[in-house]
Amino acid sequence: MNAVSRRSLSSWWLRLHHGRSAKSYPPAVSLLLVSPLMALLIVGFLYPVARLVQLSFTNGGEPYARLVRSGLYVGVLTDTILISATVAILCLVLGYPVALAMARLRRPVALLVAACVFIPLWTSVLIRSYAWVVLLQRNGLVNDLLITVGLIDMPLRLLYTHGAVILAMTHVLLPFAILPIQATLRSLPADLTRAASNLGATPVRAFLLVTLPLSLPGVFAGTLLCFVLALGFYITPALVGGPNSMMMATLIGQQTLVVLDWPFAAALSTLLLTVSLVLVAVFRRALAYNKGFSSVH
Amino acid sequence: MPGTSAFTVAAGAAFVAVMLIATSAASAGERVVIGSTGGAYDRALKAAWFDPFTQKTGIEVVVVSGTNAELRAKASAMVKSENVTWDLYLDGEIQAASEAHKSVTDDLTEFCIPYKPRKDLPANACDASGALVQSTATLLVYRADAAGVEDPQTWTDMWDTKRFPGGRAFPNFDDPWRVLAAALLADGVEKDKLFPLDVERAFRKLDEIRDSVTLWWKSGDQSVQGFRNGEYDLGQIWLTRAKAMADEGLPIKWSYKASFLVGDRVALIRGAPNRENALKLIAYWLDNPAAQAKACNALSCTPPSSDAIALMSEEARGSMPTTAEISQDLVVPDAAWINANAPTLLEQWNDWVR
Repeated sequence: MNAVSRRSLSSWWLRLHHGRSAKSYPPAVSLLLVSPLMALLIVGFLYPVARLVQLSFTNGGEPYARLVRSGLYVGVLTDTILISATVAILCLVLGYPVALAMARLRRPVALLVAACVFIPLWTSVLIRSYAWVVLLQRNGLVNDLLITVGLIDMPLRLLYTHGAVILAMTHVLLPFAILPIQATLRSLPADLTRAASNLGATPVRAFLLVTLPLSLPGVFAGTLLCFVLALGFYITPALVGGPNSMMMATLIGQQTLVVLDWPFAAALSTLLLTVSLVLVAVFRRALAYNKGFSSVH
Repeated sequence: MPGTSAFTVAAGAAFVAVMLIATSAASAGERVVIGSTGGAYDRALKAAWFDPFTQKTGIEVVVVSGTNAELRAKASAMVKSENVTWDLYLDGEIQAASEAHKSVTDDLTEFCIPYKPRKDLPANACDASGALVQSTATLLVYRADAAGVEDPQTWTDMWDTKRFPGGRAFPNFDDPWRVLAAALLADGVEKDKLFPLDVERAFRKLDEIRDSVTLWWKSGDQSVQGFRNGEYDLGQIWLTRAKAMADEGLPIKWSYKASFLVGDRVALIRGAPNRENALKLIAYWLDNPAAQAKACNALSCTPPSSDAIALMSEEARGSMPTTAEISQDLVVPDAAWINANAPTLLEQWNDWVR
């Protein structure tokens, strides 16, 4: 299949599935339906965030001057973005096969896989992070196993490292990658792959040329979700990370709780918020070359 | 229409919630709300202080738990938003000496007048910032089962990785002055000339030991779990945690020659709804050395009243610093300097530690 036919395939699929239900209510009713949510968002989200941004500009933007003066904050911001990107990519790589399995497997097995995805999702982040402490600590399960097997003589340093933070965060965020991808995959008509094999494509070729391109909206939605959630992580890096895996949320917490410098905490939060929004916008822009990706929100 | 009815329900629920809050505030009996740091600490204070107080006065003591930082931030938010629902909260002695503390709490100078002549209480037991609840040390602890090796005593020993091999542990919980002060003492600074801290010199000294630090602990349980697992052999940790490990039978010892003594204070929040009851609760603590002794027996802390120390068990007193040790070795932190420099210190610390 060449590029043109791939594009026409995806636009055909979009026409089939897009834009019917949104038009079936008159605008007034639609507005009324979303009004409770809008009210909640304005009171509980937009107003506090606006106040936060306002607070960060006290003393003529002095907090921002301080932010630039020390290399610390830009350094931690860069680390935060790098850790989040790594975690998002890992979530995608590990999550896609699981999503595919959930979409393709027969019901009892698919349910079992779904349970393995959902039960961690329903468990508190705190508990999951502590579980990693139990596994990774010096006399923890992983080190014990490696020593018993004879691979190592001395316990390895696993906990309080960069790797531990990335591992635990990936584990916590994995369901947020799996679920959107699985939703997209499941809505794909099975006829498409069947048609591909009918035309002589091997299963691998059918996957690469049909399933994968059509699942990209879910892939991007899931990866973006993981990335944005990872940017604000606080508990997990605090529990399993060492001093060198400092993230923005840690600094914001210090300023809010320890130093009580709320204007500066607000400036740090505004910086993180702005950078997240810019990254999301750039990400969407970069993908907008293909209309099939427009459902990345 | 689903939209309107959902909105009506939400508005109705909010109204009911407001009414419930309003009525519960009006109909509650005599009580006092105190923010404390939770866990074993709360249990000991409840048994020795709050419960006997309720029995005597009929005033219910409601305890809210959080870390010192959380309590401080919450109290501050309550005062700023003029919606104060707590009366008292506990805070560290150093933070209690800050300007931020003054803007959130009531000046207790007048309340303290009757306590000034008391011979069993030190001068700082009751002052404008609040009343002293207890003091505990952050000090050098070490593994005692390393056979044939002499015991480390000072911060210089902590830095001497040849004579005392093994991993080191230091706190990394946003309040770095203790680590910097230990580094300066190890570098030969006299304890009387410690403050103002020579921060650059301290970081240079810390560079020397950085590679030997196997644990930067952020919470008390990390320091305990780390010792249990053999992650470090010498560490700067809290005495209360070290005592708990010794009680468990772990081979841990500590040295008062390398220690910092810092108290916990109870402060009255500005605009406290049960102000009179709150003052009665503070008075009960200061007036009852027996209560102080009971709490500190459990926590291995130093109570404000010397009468209370006399009432404590032989065993508990054994783990407390002696008067001689207090005068010779204990470092008294310069709270004013620490508070004035807290934001810069934290920034420099973050920059160094990462």
